[in-house]
Amino acid sequence: MKQRHSFTFNGFTVLKWLIYLFFLVFLLVPLFSILLVSLTGEPVNLFGSLTSQKILSSTLKKLSHLSLDAYSSLFEGTGYFAALVNSLKLSTGVALLVTVLVLPIAYAFARTTMPWKPFFAALCTIPLVVPTFISSYAFTLMFGKTGWVNHIYRSLGGEGVLFDVQSMLGIVLVQVFFFFPYALWPMVAAFKISDLTLEEASQNLGAQGWYTFLRVTLPLAVPGIVSSMLLIFTVSFSDFGTPIILAPKDLNLIVVEAYREIAGFYNWAGSAVLTVIMLLVAAFFFWLQRLVVKGKEYGTISGKPTRQKLNDHKGVVAVLTIYTFLVMLVPLLAVGSVFLSSLATTWGHHALPDGYTLKHYLTIFSTSHKNIVNSLVLAAGALVLSVVIATFVSYFVVRRGSGGLDFVSSIPLIVPGISLGIALIQTFNTAPLKLTGTALLLIVAYTIRRMPYMIRSTMSSMMAIRKDIEEAAVNLGASNLLAAVTVIGPLMLPGIAAGAILVFVTVIKETSISLLLAPTDWAPMSLAVFQNLLRGEYYTASAMAILIIAIVIALQSLAKKLTKDQLY
Amino acid sequence: MGSVRIEHLHKQFNGITALEDVNLEIREGEFFALLGPSGCGKTTTMRCVAGFESPTAGKIFIGERDVSHVPANQRNCGMVFQSYALFPHLSVFENVAYSLQVRRFYQGGLDTKLSVLAHMLNRKLGKVDKDTEKKVRDALDFVELGHLADRLPGQLSGGQQQRVALARALIMEPAVLLMDEPLSNLDKKLRSSMRVTIRRIQQKVGITTIFVTHDQEEAMSMADRVAVMQGGRLVQVDTPTALYSQPASTFVADFVGASNIFKATVKESGEAGTVLQLVGDGVIRSAFPTNRSEVDVIIRPESIRLFADGAQVDTGDNLLEGTISMSTYLGSTIRYDVQVGELQVEVDKTFEAGSPLLPAGTNVKLAIDPNVVVIL
Repeated sequence: MKQRHSFTFNGFTVLKWLIYLFFLVFLLVPLFSILLVSLTGEPVNLFGSLTSQKILSSTLKKLSHLSLDAYSSLFEGTGYFAALVNSLKLSTGVALLVTVLVLPIAYAFARTTMPWKPFFAALCTIPLVVPTFISSYAFTLMFGKTGWVNHIYRSLGGEGVLFDVQSMLGIVLVQVFFFFPYALWPMVAAFKISDLTLEEASQNLGAQGWYTFLRVTLPLAVPGIVSSMLLIFTVSFSDFGTPIILAPKDLNLIVVEAYREIAGFYNWAGSAVLTVIMLLVAAFFFWLQRLVVKGKEYGTISGKPTRQKLNDHKGVVAVLTIYTFLVMLVPLLAVGSVFLSSLATTWGHHALPDGYTLKHYLTIFSTSHKNIVNSLVLAAGALVLSVVIATFVSYFVVRRGSGGLDFVSSIPLIVPGISLGIALIQTFNTAPLKLTGTALLLIVAYTIRRMPYMIRSTMSSMMAIRKDIEEAAVNLGASNLLAAVTVIGPLMLPGIAAGAILVFVTVIKETSISLLLAPTDWAPMSLAVFQNLLRGEYYTASAMAILIIAIVIALQSLAKKLTKDQLY
Repeated sequence: MGSVRIEHLHKQFNGITALEDVNLEIREGEFFALLGPSGCGKTTTMRCVAGFESPTAGKIFIGERDVSHVPANQRNCGMVFQSYALFPHLSVFENVAYSLQVRRFYQGGLDTKLSVLAHMLNRKLGKVDKDTEKKVRDALDFVELGHLADRLPGQLSGGQQQRVALARALIMEPAVLLMDEPLSNLDKKLRSSMRVTIRRIQQKVGITTIFVTHDQEEAMSMADRVAVMQGGRLVQVDTPTALYSQPASTFVADFVGASNIFKATVKESGEAGTVLQLVGDGVIRSAFPTNRSEVDVIIRPESIRLFADGAQVDTGDNLLEGTISMSTYLGSTIRYDVQVGELQVEVDKTFEAGSPLLPAGTNVKLAIDPNVVVIL
């Protein structure tokens, strides 16, 4: 037994180090090297330094004059500083607005007898399946100069436009209406935690309903609210799709600035500084959010389920229902606009398209079918790679308590897509590992970016399999391997499948990585939509966008069904 | 079938001692219970026998075979887990068939291996052979679950799952049957009927069985012999009756049933018995001799007779006088807490319909037969 144990231990150890190597090469080294670039002001070739004496000496020479110059210039009022400030303003604004917007809805879900809750919950998934650059485009269809909302506004006697969609306000509104579901469910949970008996105590002491809400219910929900606020902040800060479509020329935002520096000017030093800054900000807020959630989690787990009395005041319920419906209507109308536009012969200055046709769909299937195939191939590649890595990482973390892998594999959570893209381009754009512009690097980038989500899925299904089930199989005569194949494998399959589908979906939605890393022969659908928009081929872009949304919805419901079936 | 012998078993987890010098000899066909509070080492002992833990030191024999270093899957111990550990994705039939299928997989040629594996992964692929089919049907009929063969474990009640687990363990005709708190997940009523069922099945099959439990009632009612464990050590190994009437320590006495445990000093002791001065108050005679001067005295609450003041009492017994401080009605019995001087004595009296509960404050006499006064 001893011998056998040490043998499997060795086999697994090799595998474990291979996974570490993967993260080292494609995540840690690129991030470290972008840090060096930001300090030296010149591109650094770390892998080259390992293979060539010449590159090594030049790298060492660059490293000999490390300085914080690039960072100090940041604070001397250059464009970068303005970009950072604008981004922080944007994220703060979005986080605050989302909180205010969602608070009544969360309360309605958690504590009132609001009707049609399942229907509203289903509506809530719409914003999440639409890539943000498509929702931004949808907003221009609605609120642009020729948009149908403004047409209605003018026919009601208004002047000009409701607001300029190509502005900070436009960006804020898109993010608010498409990110609010991220905050909604944590807030609903927060409202459910607060204990009814405390509220009854307050009322018993003579407090009025409103006073109880403000002094008891709300303060108890505060940790949950703060944590979802921080989450929204991070999501908004890292979002690339909205600003790249809606930011006007004179509005600097850090993600767009970083993209322009690299894609437009090949300015390594500048983009490196921005990348590092973005990473630090995202990491800080991510850490802050974890900090807030940490204390709370234990409370919810150990706390016994408390009795909830639902508010059934007719007026309150009616107002909240109407309000919830109106908020959820906005993303629905946005997607509807894209859908109508994909069927329109032409559309502008009118409430509805001038005529209807299917030719845009024919166009994308004839001229852009390559993009569709690319997306599917790239997503499938990322899926396979993710499944293999995530399954083994989960095994090491759950069954062998490997904290190191757990940590490394969750680093991508704090790396904004654009930062990861820039770091990868910088590291792999020269020999010996010249991978920039290949489908492989694109697949690796997608995989790394979505790894934490995939691992969460496989890990939870691994944890759900109690150890004694494995032991029972061994007790009945099966070796560890046979037990894994006949019992653990089949039990984990739904979790793996659900995670894999979600990876597939997010790859299809992915914007920043695709825009930065995809070579022309491997342009995926999202890049095609983007290029169509740049070229002014709006209707084709709409058709492709609808196709993306359709694929995403179909696959996501499949994943949901699989996770449900997992509970025997 | 086989006996189980455990010799000088030691087990440490990260330097913490879980088992210390455990020695046991379990006879062939015996129903043997490991009893103790949580953390006493009873489950660890069983897991060492099953092969899920390897002993830090010591040896384990099943029959005459030293299995100390045999992998868990080659020990031929059937185990019923506390949570039953049924495979949730396999039907009742496939669960029970698992060990037979595994055996065919290892013993068969390549074609058998492939067909068995395919069938285990998806039961629509391939078929179970006739022999296996018959054995599984018989095993399911034996536990009276033949009609539920195609259900998934999740669709069964707790008691049914328990029987599937039992059938699954028994079908491979193990040398030893191990049961880890198998009744703890059942409700009280089901628990007592399952006790009977398990005992009946064990007797019918005649299999050596090790049963882990923290419930003394379970251990006493089912087992031929019981080992009481405390802090990783064996405290007493005996038949249930001996355990109850002659506990080896106050811990055992306390653990196997409610007891009055008093400290006492020995006034005189001989063949005819012992006279004891109870710490607190009162002098009491025991039928048992002792050679120590400071002892513990154990008197079971149900072996004390209680009389209302003024009643005539048999003079052969110890007689104490006291006052009821509390009376608790427990259904079939009444528990009286009686204050005798400084001593608090618990007395259980069978409840008889019509007879009134004596209220607190009533003066009573307690009659105690010297034969029930156990000296430790």
